[in-house]
Amino acid sequence: MAGRPGILARTISTPIILAAILGLVALAALAVHSGPFNQTVIDIFIRVILVVGLYVFIGNSGVLSFGHIGFTCLGAYMTAWLTIPPPMKKMALPDLPMLILNAKLPFYIGIIAAAAFAAFAAFLFGKILMRLSGIAASIATFAMLAVINQVYSNWENVTGATSSVVGIPINRSIWPYFLCAILVVFVAYFYAISRSGLALRAARDEAIAARASGVDIPRERLIAFVLSGAIMGLGGALYAHSVGVVTPDTFYLSLTFISLSMLVVGGMNSLSGAVLGVVVLSTIIQILRWFEKGIDIGGAVLTIPNGVQEIAIGIVMIVILMFRPTGLTRNRELVWHGWPFKKLSVGADSVAHSASADRTNAKTSNRRTS
Amino acid sequence: MKLGINLAVGAALGALLLSSQMAAAQEDDKIVVGFATAASGFMQAYDKPAQDAAMIRIDEINKAGGLLGKQIEVVTADTKTDRAEGAKAGLEVLDKGADLVVVSCDYDFGAPAALAAESAGKVSFFLCAESVKAGIQGVGPHSFSASVLAAVQGATMAEWAYTKKNARNFYRLLDTWTEYNKGICDGFDYMMPKLKDAKLVGEDTFKNEDASIAAQITRIKSLAQEPDAIMVCTMMPGAVSAIKQLRAAGINSMILNGSGVSGSYWLSAVPDLSNFFVPDQGSVHGDDPNPKVNEFNAKYKAVTGGDPSSQYVYPGYVMIDVWAKAVERAKSTEAGAVVAELEKMKDEPTLFGPRTFSAELHHQNTGRYLITEVNKGKPGVVDEWTISEPVPLDYLLSK
Repeated sequence: MAGRPGILARTISTPIILAAILGLVALAALAVHSGPFNQTVIDIFIRVILVVGLYVFIGNSGVLSFGHIGFTCLGAYMTAWLTIPPPMKKMALPDLPMLILNAKLPFYIGIIAAAAFAAFAAFLFGKILMRLSGIAASIATFAMLAVINQVYSNWENVTGATSSVVGIPINRSIWPYFLCAILVVFVAYFYAISRSGLALRAARDEAIAARASGVDIPRERLIAFVLSGAIMGLGGALYAHSVGVVTPDTFYLSLTFISLSMLVVGGMNSLSGAVLGVVVLSTIIQILRWFEKGIDIGGAVLTIPNGVQEIAIGIVMIVILMFRPTGLTRNRELVWHGWPFKKLSVGADSVAHSASADRTNAKTSNRRTS
Repeated sequence: MKLGINLAVGAALGALLLSSQMAAAQEDDKIVVGFATAASGFMQAYDKPAQDAAMIRIDEINKAGGLLGKQIEVVTADTKTDRAEGAKAGLEVLDKGADLVVVSCDYDFGAPAALAAESAGKVSFFLCAESVKAGIQGVGPHSFSASVLAAVQGATMAEWAYTKKNARNFYRLLDTWTEYNKGICDGFDYMMPKLKDAKLVGEDTFKNEDASIAAQITRIKSLAQEPDAIMVCTMMPGAVSAIKQLRAAGINSMILNGSGVSGSYWLSAVPDLSNFFVPDQGSVHGDDPNPKVNEFNAKYKAVTGGDPSSQYVYPGYVMIDVWAKAVERAKSTEAGAVVAELEKMKDEPTLFGPRTFSAELHHQNTGRYLITEVNKGKPGVVDEWTISEPVPLDYLLSK
């Protein structure tokens, strides 16, 4: 082990590369300078946050969760409660506690409170659910999603039940979304290489050995669950501020499945997979939408029928998973061993750690994705 | 290891190339109407017919020389029946220079695009939303709805049945699925207690997806006397099943409804339905007392190849009609001026009943309704009714 660089030095290039990719997406938005494209980019950043949130729990623990979009719902409503102007709240949501009813807090406090509230809820649920493993845990998280959805769809004077909650201040600048996405990528990265993260990954790969080595699995899972709950809550709050309207059915099955598909297509056990899954699928969706609207190619307008986009994205996902069952990144991380990381990462290639990327594999994924 | 860089450059270039088509300059010799409505997904079934009707009015205006001497140009963007896509669609038509942004029929699905128009300071119109939120209350001062509040439908049916059919004992059956359903019953609840001697003998709720409403029917059957009228606040698709079950159980009371069950497309599912009443803004059955409505129906058939399926086609036509009048009077498409002109409209005649907008309410809290009776499975207009007083705004807001 002597002379081998630390895990931080060997892997820090991953979040930096991912941040750079997100930075380029942001630059594209600036270059294009159009309202709908800007909104699309905001959407991509929110999806990145949600999928990275899923990765923090699913990727590290190996337990598939169907319930995380519940935390997104909690976060979205929390920021709605805090940031809607009081007169509108008194009309639509009269049973909120007085303190919240009279409050008109700024955007950034709303999203921080949303993350904290979702984390708290994740702690309560996780305390019980994290004792379960495998399919039982997945089903229990799904039940949690259903419970949250039912409560929010029926608690009329607090959540407005099934009607839209309106009056949430809309923020159409890409920067808050961009910064949060970068922040979330780094948080997920630092969690994955932390003591708790490594213990949880050990438990994912070999539960019995991990327990024999003193890993308290429910505790480590709970930490990941709470952290990912906070990230999902943040994503929900940002969604609320990007569209300006929230309803419980937005945060239910379709969002759950599209987010999970993006994670699976990217590569469930890698942070790079989470980010690339979103960027790649969102790019394909966007291209297909442009075709639906008709693209002018040398005078001829090429148009595909409305609705083809949904079918095509399904086919693309199937094809990707046929040839890459472990996702676009094959569950590896993007790393860069050249300058300025050269000295830091000597010997990294010899480490059989899931965070080291194979050169050829990564190149193929590059061709597929660009 | 150049992976990260290559990938990122590729992604960015792809994004740049594909978005070079976005530029949209607005020319001064035309007026642009932007439809941020659903061209796919379930809302398409509601948006498309109303949009077709709006296109007919736009066509008429263009053929008659245009608006302020300019032709109206239409741009569209698909919301895909998705809220986040709705916001994008709204921004997209705004980018293409829309002076008027037309949004989805339903408040929930139309609001994101309407909010985008509001923050850009443009006038937005919901195609046929019937919630009080579709306007100032839920979007802002530049937002309007072309239809009539759901509460007016409930109030109309209560007052009409009381006056014309001597109904005294009412029963209220609410499907709690949507705001729209609740809105109909809110209107009924407002009007019914004002009617002398009218009595609510019972009330119950069900859910649109309920396969059976046997429990509710048992409670109606166990009343000492069959109610004169049952106000059913529901909509498709659950409405058909509920109505069929009521009749199959031998309950022959008059059934009062909102416009959600307008049209004849579903009547074959409940053969020989009788004593069944629906409020309509105009008749799709070819027997409207106003011959111009029948002319419109013929024109609609010529353009789209089919008769209007329900009265929800009509608000689209009304919308362009009142907006164009406001633009003519304001001599500009500037939002503030157009809104001011719209707010001056009081009982402005349209093909489908008068329209009133005020600085407090950009929706109709009263309105003339045709009463369509279904008799032995055949629908036909039997009467028309305007409620004696509008449903007050503060009552609507307290709901």
